[in-house]
Amino acid sequence: MIEVIGLSAMKTVETLRPLRRTALVATAIALTVGVAADGVSYRRMADMLHLVVSSDRAAYSTKVVQRLTRDDPVLTASEYFEDESALPLPAQMFRFGAELVADETEELSYSLLSLYPINKKNGAGTELEEAGLQHVADHPDENFYGEEELGGERYFVAVYPDIAVAEACVHCHNGHKDSPRSDAKVGDVMGGVVIRIAMAPPPASDPGLD
Amino acid sequence: MRKATLWILYVCATLLVAAWATITLTVGGDRSTLLIGETTDAHHQIELACETCHTARLFTDSATDSTTDSTTDSTTATEALNQTCRACHDDELQAARDSHARKLFRGPRMAVYRERLDVLQCTTCHIEHRPEVTRPGAVTVATDFCIACHSEGDQDVRTARPSHAGIEFDTCATAGCHNYHDNRALYEGFLIRHAGRPWLAQPPLHKLSERYRTAQSGQQARIAPLAPTSALTQPALDEWASSGHAAASVGCVECHAPSAASSVVLDDIEAHWIDAPDTAICEDCHEAQADTFVLGKHGMRRHPLIAPRRDPHRQLQAMGLLERLPSALVAWLRDPPERTRMTVAEARLAMRSDAARALDCGTCHRPHALDVARAAARACATCHDDLHSRAYFDSAHYTLWQAELAGDAPPGSGVSCATCHMAKARRRGKVVTSHNQNALLYPNEKMIRPVCLDCHGIRFAIDALADADLVLRNFQGKPSVHVQSVDWALRRVGTVDD
Repeated sequence: MIEVIGLSAMKTVETLRPLRRTALVATAIALTVGVAADGVSYRRMADMLHLVVSSDRAAYSTKVVQRLTRDDPVLTASEYFEDESALPLPAQMFRFGAELVADETEELSYSLLSLYPINKKNGAGTELEEAGLQHVADHPDENFYGEEELGGERYFVAVYPDIAVAEACVHCHNGHKDSPRSDAKVGDVMGGVVIRIAMAPPPASDPGLD
Repeated sequence: MRKATLWILYVCATLLVAAWATITLTVGGDRSTLLIGETTDAHHQIELACETCHTARLFTDSATDSTTDSTTDSTTATEALNQTCRACHDDELQAARDSHARKLFRGPRMAVYRERLDVLQCTTCHIEHRPEVTRPGAVTVATDFCIACHSEGDQDVRTARPSHAGIEFDTCATAGCHNYHDNRALYEGFLIRHAGRPWLAQPPLHKLSERYRTAQSGQQARIAPLAPTSALTQPALDEWASSGHAAASVGCVECHAPSAASSVVLDDIEAHWIDAPDTAICEDCHEAQADTFVLGKHGMRRHPLIAPRRDPHRQLQAMGLLERLPSALVAWLRDPPERTRMTVAEARLAMRSDAARALDCGTCHRPHALDVARAAARACATCHDDLHSRAYFDSAHYTLWQAELAGDAPPGSGVSCATCHMAKARRRGKVVTSHNQNALLYPNEKMIRPVCLDCHGIRFAIDALADADLVLRNFQGKPSVHVQSVDWALRRVGTVDD
């Protein structure tokens, strides 16, 4: 099952006022906890989770990396941050959070993937991931939803476009020795945030997931 | 008739053996004959503390609750076994920035890789009691295991890296290029960053050792020792007077009469005097050293997660059998005496035949002199008698060490056994010596960052450590092996370097 809807959640994040953002994050957590009991749809749950992780990433990018490396430069940001006493890149921070989640539960996972990954392990690993990443690349204003089976478990999968919002992102990606693409521009879809939620076995009379 | 008797004898003997094996395994007694195969060098000295690995009970949250069986229904025996591996080794893996950490493989997208090689379980690659397939590092997985995940699609290193085309997978982790867990000194960015350094720095100085030994020099006693007259022998006094203890105002009573340490009354001190204090008294002050001592083979029997001796009285009482069994049988069911100290005789490396001693702080540090310089090299040679250890005393490293001890070379310029095997580290603003002498031993590339690179270039260090003969000769000469990883890394970024 593959569904596509219009979206602008990611762009909305950039303009949210702090109070509203906090309220939304709290709502997202509450919805996550209540999903099984209250029957919140997988799609809505994924959207809220995406709001949380993308907000965290945006906050780290602007309040930490941007401020300390450009506005008030006292540090650098580097993929080799441990050896260079530098800040982790926003994408690395995103991945560290995802790894901690993966270490705690099999029911939820998220990752930052691309059709042009610098690290090959961040490329599309399944047919659905490839379809999702291609869709958001072709339709930057839309999300992509679907279901797939991995390791004997069924998962709801949501893919959200990840758009280059700053020159620094583009510069680093274009210049990296392992990047298969060197012509990215600000505003381009660089990849996608992929969220997976383990699906409970549907009851015999299940009318549908959404 | 004769046949029937034989059958009865056979059945009785079988039942007796089964009963003996069951009771020995579960209640108490010497289990050495029940070992299912020789253990690895890593674990042989704790091989009779079976419960250390073969139950999760000691290592879970419910360890303090003896009424709770921590092995839950959902936890398989394999998972329970692997939990015990992680309980002891997780900190080390985290410090190594484990390249294949479990958390990287737990998500659903990794299911396809887990089906090929279950990397979530330590026992996939490290199985105990299988000497016939065990390689260095307690590795039991096939040598070409990397093929499971790095031979197809985007992960196929032979197509992703032209330099790797045609390379066999059984060389990935054996040629000095990659390790499964610890690649801190081998990853591409690190190789490139350090590629331009000469084989030997001028002057060659190990920075943390320099700081440590500078702080050690010129120590003098600041206090007068207070002890019973009978204990104040001149040799002991002389040794103590030039020791770090004397410089730190640690007198006799702090170790020999700790319960009277604040007293200045000699009778009081004499009443609490202990002639030969236990090493626990050392641990009170030398916490960093004690914490790391139990992580290496010298001290691992004292590790807090090693299962203690079983108590057959308690178990038999719980079974309602204690009063019914003859006392001789109960006594027979006692575990062998607890061996909390490793002995030289039990070592698997070549050791001196006259070194019949057990290992604790005093084995390397003479109790009054402490003498860290002796403990750093000469003390090792009082036990270790393998080729590498013996060759050290003919090596350039030893020549430098002698020059430093003689005052002819600056602090940090000498290379003792401890310089490489017990590397210095920063801890809470101080430089301390790790007493886990196994931490950097295998794979030996772990030694590159904290030790070798202070004096040597990375090309030389990688080549030297990959040359097994050179290692045996304790680095007398130049490497006859060349590992191409630095060359390939430089070519990939377009830097011409020959």
